[in-house]
Amino acid sequence: MVDKPSLICPQCGVAMNHHSNKLLYPTDMSPVSPIDPIFEGSMEEFHTCPKCGGAASRPET
Amino acid sequence: MTDVPQRPLFIPVILGTTRQGRMSAHAAELIRNELGKRLAIDTELIDIAKLSLPTQDAGQAIKDPRFAAAMNKADALVLVVPEYNHGYPGLLKHVLDSCLKEYIHKAVGIAGVSAGSFGGARAIENLLPVLRELGLITIFWDVNFSNVQKTFSPQGKLLNETFIPQIEKFLNELIWMAKTLRHGRERIPID
Repeated sequence: MVDKPSLICPQCGVAMNHHSNKLLYPTDMSPVSPIDPIFEGSMEEFHTCPKCGGAASRPET
Repeated sequence: MTDVPQRPLFIPVILGTTRQGRMSAHAAELIRNELGKRLAIDTELIDIAKLSLPTQDAGQAIKDPRFAAAMNKADALVLVVPEYNHGYPGLLKHVLDSCLKEYIHKAVGIAGVSAGSFGGARAIENLLPVLRELGLITIFWDVNFSNVQKTFSPQGKLLNETFIPQIEKFLNELIWMAKTLRHGRERIPID
């Protein structure tokens, strides 16, 4: 897997920690990223700021 | 203990019912009070009756910004959940479904409330798989407010002091898990 740049906390400007991946299914009206053919859903990354604790997510690519 | 986090843990208490005359409000206030006595813990009561979430079910698109901000800031949650017809309140599920990233790898403890003798145990068991899918980490301690009409006066005074040590054990576990998971979220990468 190619290393992606860390998410930057919009509050603190520091690199966030990527601590989780979760499989999501397009069951609601939230934006969904492309469907992974193996998992049959979209994979989302979850990140937390080590300074303020704020959470962020982005699609796994 | 000298293990004080660099910023206070934030552990809101969610009153998970909108029903008129709800005795769960007394249970939620009691737990919020006990949490408020702890060092380095910030808390607040979130009453789902005060959230304005539309009912045309659009998942996370209906996010209440204040609720989402509180979930984002939270290190752990306490859910106060009455048992209605052996289940948890549907509106609590509606509220919980409005967020996701805000919950991932955060601790949650549940206080069940019922008029009967089981203290909301069936509602708690039904809720566990939902919380798991939301990315929350459940603790193995619950508080079971059984016979709630006899547990609190109509004004909310606790009439059964045995709940205090139960809440103490419950909060000890929840706070330990909150500290541990905060460390993991902020410091330990997944790969």
